[in-house]
Amino acid sequence: MKDPFEAAVEEQESPPESPIPPEEEAGGPSAAADGDEEEVEARSQPAASAPLSAAAGGGRAKEEDEEEEEENMEELSKIPSGGDPDKLAKMQAILSQFTEEQMSRYESFRRSGFQKANMKRLLTSITGTQKISVPMTIVVSGIGKMFVGELVETARIIMTERKESGPIRPCHIREAYRRMKLEGKIPRRSVPRLFR
Amino acid sequence: MHNSSSGPPAKPRVGSSQPSEASFKRKRGVFQKDLQHMMYGFGDDPNPLPETVALLEDIVVEYITDLVHKAQDVGSKRGKLLTEDFLYLIRKDPPKLHRCTELLSMNEELKQARKAFDVSEETLANAD
Repeated sequence: MKDPFEAAVEEQESPPESPIPPEEEAGGPSAAADGDEEEVEARSQPAASAPLSAAAGGGRAKEEDEEEEEENMEELSKIPSGGDPDKLAKMQAILSQFTEEQMSRYESFRRSGFQKANMKRLLTSITGTQKISVPMTIVVSGIGKMFVGELVETARIIMTERKESGPIRPCHIREAYRRMKLEGKIPRRSVPRLFR
Repeated sequence: MHNSSSGPPAKPRVGSSQPSEASFKRKRGVFQKDLQHMMYGFGDDPNPLPETVALLEDIVVEYITDLVHKAQDVGSKRGKLLTEDFLYLIRKDPPKLHRCTELLSMNEELKQARKAFDVSEETLANAD
C-alpha cells in the first residue's frame, strides 16, 4: 500500500490541479496550475512566499487572496480546473486520505518558497550589475526549492540506511550532497574556488 | 564584541565562501525561515536543527552562485543574462525543467489575467 504522501509527492511532477481564482476567471480559462500556487502561498505565512506569489501585480493579488483566507487545502482541491481530470481525481483521492500531519506537511511543501526580495538581492549580488527580471527570480527560486527537496529527501534515505531517526543532522546533508555530487547533479566550477 | 561593519544590516561572515571575483557581504540566515518550512515540507522534522538549516543555506547559496556563473558563461556571448540561460543549464534535469516551464507559464497566465482584470475595472470605472 503506497504511502499517500509519497504518492502525492510523485504526483507533483505534473502540473497540480490548481484552481483558477474566481476573480480572475475573466482572463484565464485555460489549463492547469495557476491560482492555486498563488492563493495557497500568499497567505498567512509571512516568511514563506512562493516564487510566484508576488508576480506582476503583487500587492493587489495578495489582498484578494487574504480575503479568501478560510480556504484550506481541502477546499482548493475541490475547485475544478481545466487540468487533467484523471490526475485531478487521483490527487483528490489521495488528499482526502491524508492524516493531519501529512496534510500540514503537504501544505508546507506547497506553500514554502524563497522570498522574492531575498532571492533578487542574492542574484544581484552574484551577477554584480545585472538587472534581475521577475521570471528569472521565479526560475531560480523554483530550481533552488527543488534542489533543497533533493537534498532533504536524499538525507532521509541516508538516515533510513543508517537506521537513524529524528531531525536531519548536518552529517546527513553532507553525505547527501556528496552523493549528489557523484551523480553530477551539482554544477561544478571548472576553476576551483580558491579563497574560501 | 566589536564588529567590523558599523552599519546595521550586513555583517561579513567569518570564513565564508566568498568567490574570488565578487565580494559580497551576506547576512546569516537570510533564507532561514523559508528553509525551515521547506525542509518540513520535504520530510524533515517540524523543527529542523538550526545547524542543518545553516548548512543547507550555505549549500543552496553556493549552488545558486555556481548556477548563475555558469549561466553567465552561457549568456556572455549575448551580453545579457536571460532566463533561457538557466533553462538551458537544467535541460538535463527533467523534473526541474518541467517545473520551471510550468512556473513560467503560470506567471504568464496570471499576468494576462491581471491585465484583463485591470482593463475591465477601468471600463467599469469609466462607465460610472
